[in-house]
Amino acid sequence: MAPALRLLLAFLAIGSCTAADHVDLWPMPKTVSHGTQRLYVSNNATMSMAGSKYSDGKAILKDAFQRMLDLMKLNHNADGANPSSSLLTGVNIVVLSTQDELGFEVDESYNLTVPTIGEPLHAQIEAQTVFGALHALQTFSQLCHFEFTSRLIGLNSAPWMISDAPRFPYRGLLIDTSRHYLPLATIKGVIDAMTYSKLNVLHWHIVDEQSFPIEIPSYPKLWNGSYSYSERYTMPDAIDIVRYAEKRGVNVLAEIDVPGHARSWGVGYPELWPSDSCREPLDVSNNFTFKVIDGILSDFSKVFKFKFVHLGGDEVNTSCWTETPHIKEWLNNNHMNVSDAYRYFVLRAQKIAISHGYEVINWEETFNNFGDKLDRKTVVHNWLGGDVAPKVVAAGLRCIVSNQDKWYLDHLDATWEGFYLNEPLKGINNTEQQRLVIGGEVCMWGEQIDASDIEQTIWPRAAAAAERLWSPLEQIAEDTRSATSRLSRFRCLLNQRGVAAAPLAGNGRTAPYEPGPCVRQ
Amino acid sequence: ANTIYGAIRGLETFSQLCVFNYDTKNVEVRYAPWYIQDEPRFAFRGLMLDTSRHYLPVDVIKQVIDSMSFSKLNVLHWHIIDEQSFPLEIPSYPNLWKGSYSKSERYTVEDARYIVSYAKKRGIHVMAEIDVPGHAESWGNGYPKLWPSLSCTEPLDVSSNFTFEVITGILSDMRKIFPFGLFHLGGDEVYTGCWNLTPHVKQWLDERNMTTKDAYKYFVLKAQEIAIDLNWIPVNWEETFNSFGGSLNPRTVVHNWLGPGVCPKVVAKGLRCIMSNQGVWYLDHLDVPWEQVYTAEPLAGIDDTAQQKLVLGGEVCMWGETADTSDVQQTIWPRAAAAAERMWSQLEAISAQDLETTVLARLHYFRCLLNHRGIAAAPVTNFYARRPPIGPGSCFVQ
Repeated sequence: MAPALRLLLAFLAIGSCTAADHVDLWPMPKTVSHGTQRLYVSNNATMSMAGSKYSDGKAILKDAFQRMLDLMKLNHNADGANPSSSLLTGVNIVVLSTQDELGFEVDESYNLTVPTIGEPLHAQIEAQTVFGALHALQTFSQLCHFEFTSRLIGLNSAPWMISDAPRFPYRGLLIDTSRHYLPLATIKGVIDAMTYSKLNVLHWHIVDEQSFPIEIPSYPKLWNGSYSYSERYTMPDAIDIVRYAEKRGVNVLAEIDVPGHARSWGVGYPELWPSDSCREPLDVSNNFTFKVIDGILSDFSKVFKFKFVHLGGDEVNTSCWTETPHIKEWLNNNHMNVSDAYRYFVLRAQKIAISHGYEVINWEETFNNFGDKLDRKTVVHNWLGGDVAPKVVAAGLRCIVSNQDKWYLDHLDATWEGFYLNEPLKGINNTEQQRLVIGGEVCMWGEQIDASDIEQTIWPRAAAAAERLWSPLEQIAEDTRSATSRLSRFRCLLNQRGVAAAPLAGNGRTAPYEPGPCVRQ
Repeated sequence: ANTIYGAIRGLETFSQLCVFNYDTKNVEVRYAPWYIQDEPRFAFRGLMLDTSRHYLPVDVIKQVIDSMSFSKLNVLHWHIIDEQSFPLEIPSYPNLWKGSYSKSERYTVEDARYIVSYAKKRGIHVMAEIDVPGHAESWGNGYPKLWPSLSCTEPLDVSSNFTFEVITGILSDMRKIFPFGLFHLGGDEVYTGCWNLTPHVKQWLDERNMTTKDAYKYFVLKAQEIAIDLNWIPVNWEETFNSFGGSLNPRTVVHNWLGPGVCPKVVAKGLRCIMSNQGVWYLDHLDVPWEQVYTAEPLAGIDDTAQQKLVLGGEVCMWGETADTSDVQQTIWPRAAAAAERMWSQLEAISAQDLETTVLARLHYFRCLLNHRGIAAAPVTNFYARRPPIGPGSCFVQ
């Protein structure tokens, strides 16, 4: 009998079981079916690429496979004697396209099969791109666990047939390195943890009023605005982060917030301030301001390869414009009030970004104030409230959802249940318009966040949002109580992997109340 | 250096002389030439981890070991087991780890060996603890006979030979894993009520004319003997000294924790001492700011130089009731570093410093260095430990 037919009969014979509670995966894949057999993963599991069009020249897969093996073993010595049967010898990965450049809307789908029949027995991954294969390896790593009695890596409930693809192409996490400097090791740790729940955009809010930590070769005094000499990122540091993320399938969205939230720029170039006593927003009347923005975006374009750049535009308090004589005069000469000037600033910055090849993302105030004047390719980043996305997509613009009442991680009283239930498409019924919501983002603002507490504030709540952004609606629990134990086990998996994810119970980043097993906290 | 472990300390110091120049993008050493001669004041500079109240994954323990090496701490006191859970594999009595919280919150024998060798490579000893007869409820999950009765589950049943067979088995298995010369046998907070209340134990006491206090002494001394037979020096918590100090094996090292003023009494009796006065060096006490940790002096109240030599050193203790993977590192650091300097540096050098200027500046720098190295050390100047930074700001002033 042909092997494929035998395989098919094996599946039919064992039957499929989709009871969500036996499936310990996070986020829940699009379709999952499994059986009841236990398999083991060989100590010397190998990766092969038979049938792949992709050659892994950058060793993206090879390194990911090694990382996955380390994650599965979690530092235990998996040195039990390999059983003679039910032993998975490795994973065969078939990647159908040669594309190895990460980008927006790259195909992230995959099929993962763990059969119980085959000689030699091996798992099979099929994906359009290497980035789909990376997600498949993550899922596979969650099927495996270290068995303390046999000292083997076990894989339960085989055979598995998983077909998966994300609901939204933009699944983001914002980090803020201006309110507190975050060392590179911290940022890399965040990137690794993002991949475990398949988040794929790191929104790097690099600069704000308090500090300017990044090197800008075109205007080298800008980083005099860093908190201190060593709380800085060089350009090679930024390139390192982008590469580190890209190898893991994570895009890096850089943000340069203008004209507000930019007081730190004037430490190196005081002429950017309206005056010495009135320091923000950036001086709209001064051409130099836009020269600097151009320099920054030009330097960015050599490092940040994501097709979007974020230009901010939020919380612009224009009083320093009216109070500073030379700006007041400029406004009069140009027949502008401050609202016009705000709009003028944002649009001029947009044009500069577009000239460097970027598409622009702006915070929602720009849309709320002059949505019809924004560049037509602008993506509006909602944050103020929960009813903005419908208006944005009705106007024909794309939208990213981050409503602060549910998806702001610095709000410690925002519960994981709230994160889980926040639906980006709420209030949008037209399917054309639904497509304009490219996804959502949880935001880790840094006022009270530094290297000492960032991980436990992000996790596990960001993971709850990660499932909302990845899994299809049918797979998302309607009652959070049915997701609690699965998220709890995922949190413990994060801990086992060295990620300081906080207990589920209580507010964000609480300490565990009392002694106890990880899953009950 | 005389040994490679001295050289390891030297490399750590050298690494702290190096700074990254953001303009030239080079690593530099400033203010050369440097001449540094260094050695620790105390030979025992410990940090205690509790993996019973919460399981700590091996990855986390490794990270703690790395961070210890940055401040030259050199003993990891592993309080493996307590009443809530028994996470370690004991081949002689394989049911013992049924007392773990769950099937995955466990350490295999290989895990333990790996931790020991990982620490050794960084010049750090691992001192294991098997706390008896109290703090041992979790043992009975696998072997209920160890409990006085099913309804009275601690301390361990002193009247049963089986109890000491199990202890012998545990210690023998551990001897193959933990080469450090000291082994901690606990002996703290022993509530003997269940011995009196359980008929067969009460009978055993009566037959020997023992009070529960006598039985406590009997238990501790018998456990000590098992350890000594295995070529270990026993360490015991201070209640054993306070209750029957004169009967303790003369090799015993007494581990102070209840309060100040204990080590002077211990060394006056000719026994060695480790200081962990809970008022200052218990890291789970979140209301002890770094200044109090720094100024605690292991030799306080001991003027005789011969007696001073009996104080092996000290230890900061990270009890695990509210510390798990999510918050253990920010509870340990930076306060443990304050204690680390107290235990390493010469007393004259420490006393010459001014807390609020020279020490604080250096501790700030060290905390930010820890952050750069991936260790989640909390802000220095918060009053309570492991709190977030109060607002935006530079690492060096928080």
